[in-house]
Amino acid sequence: MSGPDGTPAIEVSGLTFRYPGADDDSLRGVDLRIERGDFVAVIGGNGSGKTTLCKSFNGLVPHYWSGTFDGSVRVLGQDTRDLTVGALSHLVGYVYQDFGNQLVRPTVRDEVSFAPVNFGRPDHHERTEEAMGLLGVAHLADRFTWQLSGGQQHLVALASVMALRPGVIVVDEPVAELDPARAELIYAALADLNTRLGTTVVVIEHHAEFVARHARSVVLMADGAPVWHLPTRQALARAEELDAHGIPAPQVVRVAQSLDPSGPVPLTVTECVDRLRERGLAAAVADAPREGGDPGPPGPVTATAPVAELSGVTHGYREVGGDLSLVLKGLDLTLREGDRVALVGGNGAGKSTLLRLLTGLKVPREGTVRVGGTDTRTTSAAALADRVCYLYQRPEQMFLKDSVREDVAMFPTGRGAADAAALVEEVLERVRLAGLAHRDGRLLSGGQQRRATLGIGLAMRPALLLLDEPTSSLDTASRDAVTAMLAALSGSIRCTVVATHDMHLVAEWADRVVVLQGGRVAADTDPAGLFADEELMAAVGLVPPQVVQVGAGIGMSPVPLSVAELLARLESSAVPAGKIPSRAGRSEHA
Amino acid sequence: MRKERDRLSVEWVKLELLRTAYATRGGLLSRRDPRVVIGWYLIFAVVPWLTHNITVLAGLFVICAAFVVLSRVGPLVLGLFIIGFVLESVYVLIAAWMFGGDLGTVLALVELTLKLATVSLASMAAFVSLDPEKLSDALLSLHAPAMVSFGVSYGYRMLPILMEEFHTVVDGHRLRAAPLPSKGLLGWRVVVRTATTVVAAFYPLMLNTAKRTRTTVEALETRGFTYAAEHPDGRRIRLAHLRATREDALLIAVSLLLIAAAFAAGHSYPLYGAVQ
Repeated sequence: MSGPDGTPAIEVSGLTFRYPGADDDSLRGVDLRIERGDFVAVIGGNGSGKTTLCKSFNGLVPHYWSGTFDGSVRVLGQDTRDLTVGALSHLVGYVYQDFGNQLVRPTVRDEVSFAPVNFGRPDHHERTEEAMGLLGVAHLADRFTWQLSGGQQHLVALASVMALRPGVIVVDEPVAELDPARAELIYAALADLNTRLGTTVVVIEHHAEFVARHARSVVLMADGAPVWHLPTRQALARAEELDAHGIPAPQVVRVAQSLDPSGPVPLTVTECVDRLRERGLAAAVADAPREGGDPGPPGPVTATAPVAELSGVTHGYREVGGDLSLVLKGLDLTLREGDRVALVGGNGAGKSTLLRLLTGLKVPREGTVRVGGTDTRTTSAAALADRVCYLYQRPEQMFLKDSVREDVAMFPTGRGAADAAALVEEVLERVRLAGLAHRDGRLLSGGQQRRATLGIGLAMRPALLLLDEPTSSLDTASRDAVTAMLAALSGSIRCTVVATHDMHLVAEWADRVVVLQGGRVAADTDPAGLFADEELMAAVGLVPPQVVQVGAGIGMSPVPLSVAELLARLESSAVPAGKIPSRAGRSEHA
Repeated sequence: MRKERDRLSVEWVKLELLRTAYATRGGLLSRRDPRVVIGWYLIFAVVPWLTHNITVLAGLFVICAAFVVLSRVGPLVLGLFIIGFVLESVYVLIAAWMFGGDLGTVLALVELTLKLATVSLASMAAFVSLDPEKLSDALLSLHAPAMVSFGVSYGYRMLPILMEEFHTVVDGHRLRAAPLPSKGLLGWRVVVRTATTVVAAFYPLMLNTAKRTRTTVEALETRGFTYAAEHPDGRRIRLAHLRATREDALLIAVSLLLIAAAFAAGHSYPLYGAVQ
């Protein structure tokens, strides 16, 4: 789809922009050229101007956000100042981070046809069918949008902007609100649009692993201007610079650079495994014992006191049609003192249902749930809240008051705790929000919001802390902060259960992993045991962290859980170069 | 002992609202052209006010009740209506008795009750049968402002999200608010607590919704909503699929015949309230 006259897809020159009423420029002298047919990832820390830049492509800046605008943006050769937002949307499609709010019509077909119909296109019907076909959502045409899963909603949002046949499509953080398996689907769809139609794709992305696998070039934004625009491999080789901007390089890059700081970086697990093999670092480590001695058989060997017990629990929900859809079917599970449990499983596996049953907000249709020996049927959820705390997936659901301090204080003061005031201050210190405690939680950044909800949980002083996807939609730095905070909590909470798709969190934090599948516990093991069971991982749609895949690829057993561990074990078992055992078959796992 | 209930629980109310709003049960009127359904509704909303004859009103009431059955109105809406209707009737009798009224007073009040009940039944039958797309298309074709017809469909789109969010916030209050010391006489504390919680829940609900709509408004702009308001092509395309068929004509004809029959019955067996 290269232009007849060689004009680039997007050409920004000298762009400076300040939002109305703001004290600082959001964009400062941006010069950027994106070629037609490119697949560009825009990365950068929070507040670096990524989103503002991308909103200048489709004219929302400056037509909708009418701030101070200097310089020019040309899209497919046309100056954005000369066109309306409506006209520009035929050139540039935009999918928001909170894509659910971009769906405005009741059914999928109506949603996709919304723009072509509004613009009075006589071929609106063909465009609608074509766009639904492109994104593979034609079978959902008559469904209501609220019935769809997050991944399906994202595809519909994509289809609805593709119905205008734009030459450029901008997608803001597809991974933020989707689990990794679904995000992979979105990337596959984008790659397909890019290769088949030649659509120029611009993604705003925090996760370097997705950038490495899919993007052809990378723009690093900092302080409202691009630092550089480089081909992906060169971009990711600058690991330290990326790290400084809050974007840790993918684990494969970190592994390769630790071993060979000057060599080209691998972009995928397969490449990394091949690289290690070439260096003769493969199966030599296969039989090396893991540090800390014999790992023993997988599975918890704890025998501490139970905190909560579920036996024969069956639960489900009525659907709009009236059918009962069972989510949990005769589930048995005991949570013990000192456990750090990661609850994993595909979407709809019943993770949230299980957590809700433990809070007592719901009681099971069959079987019993006991928390601290009390059957949840015999008591109220409010009474159970003295022992159990449940933190919702979306932080704003936890903010009931108009300041963080009041939200944290709500439970202890309500229950008349004598030390409530001191407790609130202590908790605010601990989650590092004392300075922001007067603000409304909704106005904080993603990472701050998550810490605020952790503070609400801490102030409840629960024996059992339940968290639903605590690291979703966080950038990597905030995610690490939350993981560290969870680790620090272990002293004050008897048992923590985290429902998550984030395998990095599982690897770094959990000591017990419960896998839900088909309404039952499919496995009850530890992180290494989970990642080693490739069949199970595939069955529940989970992807292990890259370092685990690399470890498995070079024949390590048990698999390493962190880059540091992999490197340490490689070092301790270093063998003279040239002694390359042939284990070609192992690389299939990668 | 608590138990998961399939009926008369919060979950059930949520499902019933969705079934009602999205016309998932089907029914006689849901297959008709939405403009005809609105026309049909207007007929039954106006006609009861044209007579004082209780026989005619009773006839109209029966007709509308039959349409409610054929339109498969759900138990929640119907239950609320019946409770309201029964309470209203009891009130009529008590009011007549308290103020020393006679049969004439009762009849006068019955007349008003019947009129209101008939209109309520007609609105149930009509609006339970209109899903959001149909209703917004019908409003658009009747030259309601674009903002109104879009607002209706967007309101429906937000309904499930708002209900879910409201429930979550109320659950949050249940878990984190101070527990009640006791239920109080006849559970008055529970009533007060429920009422204050519902009011308090609106603050987070409104703020969260306001945050959502920022994206929505931008997205509407990029997708030609403003453009469509200024150019008629979109409206024409959107309404092209609306076609009144022979069945639609039949529906109106049958309804008019039934109304005529009610008036005929009223002429033969008149029964009047206060005004003779």
